[in-house]
Amino acid sequence: MKEYIKGAKAGVPVIFGFIPVAIAYAVMAKQAGISAGETVFMSMAVFAGAAQMMACGMYAQGAGVAAIVLTTFILNLRHLIMSTCVINKMKGGGMAVRLLSSFGVTDESFAIFTTQPEEHSSPAFFLGLISVTYSSWVGGAVIGTLVSEALPPTISSSLGIALYAMFIVLLVPGLRGNLRLGLLVALTAVINSVLSLLMSSSWALIAATLLCAFLGVFFVELDEEKEDAHEA
Amino acid sequence: MKPEVMLMILGMAIVTFIPRAIPAIFIERMHFSPRVEKFLRLIPYTAMAALIFPGVLTVDAARPEIGIIGGLAAGLLAWRRLPVMVCVLAAIGADMLLYL
Repeated sequence: MKEYIKGAKAGVPVIFGFIPVAIAYAVMAKQAGISAGETVFMSMAVFAGAAQMMACGMYAQGAGVAAIVLTTFILNLRHLIMSTCVINKMKGGGMAVRLLSSFGVTDESFAIFTTQPEEHSSPAFFLGLISVTYSSWVGGAVIGTLVSEALPPTISSSLGIALYAMFIVLLVPGLRGNLRLGLLVALTAVINSVLSLLMSSSWALIAATLLCAFLGVFFVELDEEKEDAHEA
Repeated sequence: MKPEVMLMILGMAIVTFIPRAIPAIFIERMHFSPRVEKFLRLIPYTAMAALIFPGVLTVDAARPEIGIIGGLAAGLLAWRRLPVMVCVLAAIGADMLLYL
């Protein structure tokens, strides 16, 4: 229970990022002619922001169900990599707990969980974390169905930095005192930028992540002792 | 509820859950060598780098400095070991100032 609450606390920064995105999604869904019930149900069943927004856009343009489902699959394929890291780090828990946990794997829960120190690798911690991310995602969609317009651009753009800021904050402590890891991160950013020009950003992300982690195996030292994870 | 929309949501839910669930189902049967373990431990760093860049430049597509300043504020404070929440709020605050 203690770990569950710690996990929930670690998820709090995500709320600031998720609620405005969820509201924007719900407003898009309404404009696409999707009912309020369907909008909230999609958030509960899919739990993947970028794919849900894309689906609303495609639906509004009259795309078929098969095309929307296929695009969703490609967009969310990155979760296969992220879920592997999350489940591999998780200590304890049976198949049912792991399956429930895997449903909550998003960019954000992956980033938070995999950068925690070893003592926070229990299923309880992860379940606490995804309880917060899931409820803010679904709650944000409910709020979005009740309002008629998205947040003013100034506010939504300011909050738009929140998830990026969180990724940066989770990344930085691991880089302290590890120049080679810093170089690998910079290299990944460059390679991802180049690949993004050549292919869709979802494929670029997968390719850059895997390619650079592979390169890193040969020149980066990962020292357990150096781990200096950030407490939320 | 429109059947077409319902079908779309269920299809999306299934194809999104499959990649998430595969590791949960198969991980017990997998034994990773130290090299593969290292590869898996590097993925959070490379994935986060790819999630941040170049996406952060398009927080406001017309004004890339919004993402740059907000990101720098968060990174600088994180380097000084401030709590995650403080860094995130500082990034939001810095961007709100830029919009004034």
